[in-house]
Amino acid sequence: MATTVEKRLETVNNRARTGPGKGRELAGGVYTLWRKHMKKFSRSVMEIGGTLFTPILWMLLFGLSMGGMVKGMTDFTPSVNYIAYITPGLMLLTCLTAAILGGTTLLMERTSGIIKEYLIAPVPRIAVLLGTMSSSMTKALMQAVVIIVLGLLLGSGLNLNPLDFVAGLAILLIYSLGFVGIAAAAASKARGMESYHTLIGVLNLPVLFLSNALYPLEKMPAVLAALAYFNPTTYAVDATRNLFYGAKLEIGLWLDIPVLLAFMVLGVWFGYRTFQKAVADPA
Amino acid sequence: MTQIVQPVPPAAQPIRRNLAIEVSNLVRTFKAGQETIRALDGVDLQVESGSIYALLGPNGAGKTTTINILTTLIPPTSGLARVGGFDVVKEAAQLRRIIGATFQETVVDKNLSGRDTLDTHGRLYHLPKSLIKSRIEELTRLVELEDAIDRATKTYSGGMKRRLELARGLLTQPQVLFLDEPTQGLDPQNRDRIWTYIRQLKAEQGLTILLTTHYMEEAEQLADRVGIIDYGRIIKSGTPEELIGALGEDVVTILGSGETGRFLEILRQQAVVDWANEYSPGPLQGEDMLSTPVIPSIQVGLKEQAGKSLRPIVELAEQAGFKIADLSIKRPSLNDVFLKYTGRRLRD
Repeated sequence: MATTVEKRLETVNNRARTGPGKGRELAGGVYTLWRKHMKKFSRSVMEIGGTLFTPILWMLLFGLSMGGMVKGMTDFTPSVNYIAYITPGLMLLTCLTAAILGGTTLLMERTSGIIKEYLIAPVPRIAVLLGTMSSSMTKALMQAVVIIVLGLLLGSGLNLNPLDFVAGLAILLIYSLGFVGIAAAAASKARGMESYHTLIGVLNLPVLFLSNALYPLEKMPAVLAALAYFNPTTYAVDATRNLFYGAKLEIGLWLDIPVLLAFMVLGVWFGYRTFQKAVADPA
Repeated sequence: MTQIVQPVPPAAQPIRRNLAIEVSNLVRTFKAGQETIRALDGVDLQVESGSIYALLGPNGAGKTTTINILTTLIPPTSGLARVGGFDVVKEAAQLRRIIGATFQETVVDKNLSGRDTLDTHGRLYHLPKSLIKSRIEELTRLVELEDAIDRATKTYSGGMKRRLELARGLLTQPQVLFLDEPTQGLDPQNRDRIWTYIRQLKAEQGLTILLTTHYMEEAEQLADRVGIIDYGRIIKSGTPEELIGALGEDVVTILGSGETGRFLEILRQQAVVDWANEYSPGPLQGEDMLSTPVIPSIQVGLKEQAGKSLRPIVELAEQAGFKIADLSIKRPSLNDVFLKYTGRRLRD
């Protein structure tokens, strides 16, 4: 008996000392959690339906009716048609929603205790954050593609330069990551679902309407227009509208890109820090 | 001749091979508003490799906090803790590779099947796919979930979820397994099953298990050693036999009213009396609370069998002005051990 115990200790201790290495533990952890959430997603008809239909509804209900109204206005002549004009904004809104949902997942796993399984596993703690969040980013990009396709069907056209297209997707990702961080921070702090949604609900509206997503900055009251410059959505819309549809830039990529990068870095840093603190000291 | 006294160099942390868990003077505080709560107030604990140790104590005694620290979920405020020779703070990464755990709450994702739950777990520990597959087969058989393993866990009963969690904790062939209240809320049948698995594991694999429980029976049935924990300290530990044996031959429980203090004093002076305590009934729940009036009770541990000394005890009570309402004798159990050291009854 004693010898088998000894042997067992030996092999186990060797395994413990070596491990697969930090990089592999991180990558493996992120991938495992991403895979788990995508598996759950692929089995949930409701979630797939919701993911696909939300942007479709926005495009059809909002896009078509607003588009019809805007057509008659003589002093609003965007450089692209209205569907193309609002599509970037709706894509970004979809990304924001996905980030918020990612936060919901994180919060649910935190409050239910499922997160403990990950926290005591040999994976770096940031992998827990990245795994959960990357699955919601995947869903967001899927939605973005649905919107682009739908926009095409509705006559938005598309800028056919592949480099611009990829750059556009990159902007979506950078923008989303910033909000992923904020959502993660909120999910790490919130006591429960209600407080999380209260916090996030407050965020949602101004992010969309306090920007140039649906109407140009010059048409907004001066105060609101000024505030819109503090909203990353404004820069993301400006950039993606140009990259996806070749619209005239209101601000300029030279400012859009650094602002969005800064937003991403700050958001992710804030999210990671808050998450780290919350799991290190749950009381 | 002068003797040169060499300063003794501080010995490197002695890692005793046969100790799977070593805890010394572990303290953990939590902030609750303005107050600081000392959840652990200097816990000392040693668990030998290949043995089962049960932490026994009421809710809020510090059992879960101890497990949370040992599984690296939360850092200690101060003190030292090692599992498999690895420090919980400095060597957390290594430590995590050799432990398995189940938590007090049931934590399985209800939308995943049992198999997916186990598969995800194996991947988190970077096990090769083929090994995960064969382990899932083995463990599904062990915990008797063959029929349910491919169903979503939301269709599982509480007992099935617990068994799945046990399988998950074992999947990675841990060196040390932590079970936080493994049978809480289970029906007797499922409790029995879990006990059987745990005994089997210990016998076949020489696994070290630290479990927490507030069921006396569980500790008595499973544990090689029991540590009684209360108010964040281990107040007594030993094998169940030692602990019970230390209580003497028989325990007499006396219910009644009157001069309790004086009666106790007199009792303690008797040669045959090993110890005597008064206890207030533990928090009663549900029906008990309504039907049972609170009667102060006295427990007396005797050095010999109760037969002869019963009559003197009754007489002493009368002398002291204590009116006996009820009197019973029994062989001591862990329950009495707990009562003696904490002055409280543990809810069973």
